[in-house]
Amino acid sequence: MDLNVKDYIYDKLLPKVEKPGRYIGTEWNSVHKALKGIDIRFAFCFPDSYEVGMSHLGMKILYHLLNDQKDIYCERVFAPWPDMESLMRKEDIKLFALESRDYIQDFDFVGFTLQYEMSYTNVLNMLDLAGIPLLAKDRGKDDPFVIAGGPCAYNAEPLADFMDLVAMGEGEELIGELLDRYKEWKEKGGERESFLRHASAIPGVYIPRFYDVSYLENGQVESVKRNTDAAPERIIKRIVRNLDRTFYPERIIVPFMDIVHDRIMLEIFRGCSRGCRFCQAGMIYRPVRERNMDKLLELAEKLVANTGYEEISLSSLSTSDYSRLEDLVKQLMERFRHNRVSLSLPSLRLDSFAKEFIEEVQKVRRTGLTFAPEAGTQRLRDVINKGVTEEDLVSSVTDAFESGWNTVKLYFMIGLPTETEEDLQGIADLARLVTDCYYRVDREKRQKGLKITVSTSSFVPKPFTPFQWEPQNTMEELREKQQYLKKALRMKHVDYNWHDPEVSYMEAVFARGDRRLGAVLLSAWKNGARFDGWAEHFRLDYWMDAFRRNGLEPEFYAHRRRERSEVFPWDHIDTGVSKTFLWNEWQKALRGELTPDCRKSCSGCGVKKLGEGLC
Amino acid sequence: MRFVVEYTREERVKYISHLDLMRAMQRTIRRAEIPIAYSQGFHPHPIMAFASALPVGVTSEGEYMDMELCESIGIPELKEKLNKALPKGITAKEAGIIDEKAPSLMSLIERADYRIIADDPGLDWKSGIAAFLEKTEIWVEKKGKKGISTINLKEGVYDIRLGGEHNGELYLSLHAGSSGNLKPELVVGELLKGIKTASQAAEAADPDSGQDTGQPVPMSIHRIGLYFKQNGKWVTPLALNRN
Repeated sequence: MDLNVKDYIYDKLLPKVEKPGRYIGTEWNSVHKALKGIDIRFAFCFPDSYEVGMSHLGMKILYHLLNDQKDIYCERVFAPWPDMESLMRKEDIKLFALESRDYIQDFDFVGFTLQYEMSYTNVLNMLDLAGIPLLAKDRGKDDPFVIAGGPCAYNAEPLADFMDLVAMGEGEELIGELLDRYKEWKEKGGERESFLRHASAIPGVYIPRFYDVSYLENGQVESVKRNTDAAPERIIKRIVRNLDRTFYPERIIVPFMDIVHDRIMLEIFRGCSRGCRFCQAGMIYRPVRERNMDKLLELAEKLVANTGYEEISLSSLSTSDYSRLEDLVKQLMERFRHNRVSLSLPSLRLDSFAKEFIEEVQKVRRTGLTFAPEAGTQRLRDVINKGVTEEDLVSSVTDAFESGWNTVKLYFMIGLPTETEEDLQGIADLARLVTDCYYRVDREKRQKGLKITVSTSSFVPKPFTPFQWEPQNTMEELREKQQYLKKALRMKHVDYNWHDPEVSYMEAVFARGDRRLGAVLLSAWKNGARFDGWAEHFRLDYWMDAFRRNGLEPEFYAHRRRERSEVFPWDHIDTGVSKTFLWNEWQKALRGELTPDCRKSCSGCGVKKLGEGLC
Repeated sequence: MRFVVEYTREERVKYISHLDLMRAMQRTIRRAEIPIAYSQGFHPHPIMAFASALPVGVTSEGEYMDMELCESIGIPELKEKLNKALPKGITAKEAGIIDEKAPSLMSLIERADYRIIADDPGLDWKSGIAAFLEKTEIWVEKKGKKGISTINLKEGVYDIRLGGEHNGELYLSLHAGSSGNLKPELVVGELLKGIKTASQAAEAADPDSGQDTGQPVPMSIHRIGLYFKQNGKWVTPLALNRN
């Protein structure tokens, strides 16, 4: 690329944007390579802002994993903020990679991580800014291959028209195999199609164009059939067996500007054994695989030394389930006391919260306490298989208040299957109960200034969960429920936050969407939709217009109850967890029956087939 | 023990805000394993302070910070450790040991010098400077933390001159520090007004030479150093060095 363009971006464009720090690319530990000897250039794209994308663990892992290879140069790309986008369009600057400021249209791969549905318009917008044809079928021999991964890739059907490849599951091993094939293909020279054929032989690789979807008259999917023998009938997700032998970055990038999670993330295990029925992550990331404690301590030491970060967070889907958590916390505290590195523990569950533990954390730094009962009554908590009781909450918050905490956040979902007014009232009752717990603690012991924040999100039925057959509440229903709670939670010390039902509605549509939604996505993007996950940018009218133009109805996707026999758009993707298990879980939910934690007893979800002795 | 460090902020890091730079320094110190002292209390923080905030987009070859260490360390070792751990674009140039009881750097600093290069080498600074020097007082509005105040620019300017290889290079020596900080942009803005008036006069005489000066003129601003007066002489904070 013209050197002057790079300088122009840096010297002339950046002074005009609100946060130039998003685009400088020379942060500590960022990787810069000379192009000599580089065979593959990979643009790792996060379809959201720098602050959000830089907080994502998966990107840190793959960025450094790829850059550890001498002949691969992986660079970061984030969605330019609207102020930057309008400058780029005005001055005819294409989307560039942060490290080299080279245009990504000249790269070998452009890879997107799909973390949530409402980032899809940013994917389209980034391709467009890059000057890469949006539709996979329009790309030619000079265009990069566009690949997607991440949790939303399990149902990537709404993006099927835009993707050359989709990677299912954990990428650490898959990506290496894929790039090896690519190198072979590049050396030989050949049609794009021939690389895709080679690639589809790699387990976990999904090439959407190798599958044809037919629909019934009622709009449901009739079947998804492969149109070439090169593609597998079903695509089975990839997992890494042993986390201790899997790459983990020791020199992560330290941003200059404030990002959402600005700390060392120590991934202590993958998967979750709880089996909450609303939770997609709990199903798709199975089975549980822990990282050894000594390995974690070693990683923590290296990461602190290499980054200078002042905080470590233990990262997983359910941190308190780590088998040696107390030991780990104590050892980390001891090792980093001298240089004041603090520890934060996100997503703590009520039931394994020990008082001693709270005090340990407090020694270095206080952070807010968060509890997620998810539902207001025991009946509904049983339906969703959230094995948490009122007594758990009472004892945890009482312990916390006795140890001097005064701020508690309570997270709930509204619109869960079978929810009634009683369950909503239950949310208010729990908030009251927490207040009572506070006042029952000795005046001497408790800290002044009690503050309880109740937050509700709106339930979105996700594919690959037991609730995938269920309709989402309509926006009207959700608004009524929020109104109810606004009244019911009008009490001292309590604040109530809620989510915009419009965004949750579109999220529900795309979560269980099919390929026909690709056209809707394109129309919505043309209407101006982007950064839809940001309340200030989301415009429902862009989306409703897009549906009308394409003759589709969002209710069909969000508000419809599915039959057991229905073929889902994602049925050819195999996460290891069987559809039969999910259906049985759904029936148990309706009966209010619990399913035990799978660390305690196996419920036969099917994930064992991914490997002998996995769990 | 209290140390002062002189460092640069080069092109690569010119878009970092002061707050972000302070955080980057704290992380650098942890990476460098420099035995910094921490404050007491619930939120212990490393004891360090900066002489002056540098606006976003401005580079510098003379920034200063001081820090309290709980163990002694040699100056060459301190510099070496810092430079190994500093992000590209920041260099620790010099360091010294200063008196624990010396006032904060921010309260000491009185003067900052800047070099300003306009992208347009033909920009006629001379007429702007002449117009500036002619006036006895120049009142402008200044946006601060406490809202908008009115200040006399003439009082805040120690020196103003042209230099370097070409006409585009301007040197400003301005009042700085906690007693009142004059941003170079304010002075440059005033100089441009003078140039505009001059060019308008020329335009009136020759209607073909019209140019639009309504937009801010693209230029780079570089801080040369920060100074205070010691025994009647201008010195940098390094002069506090006890050795």
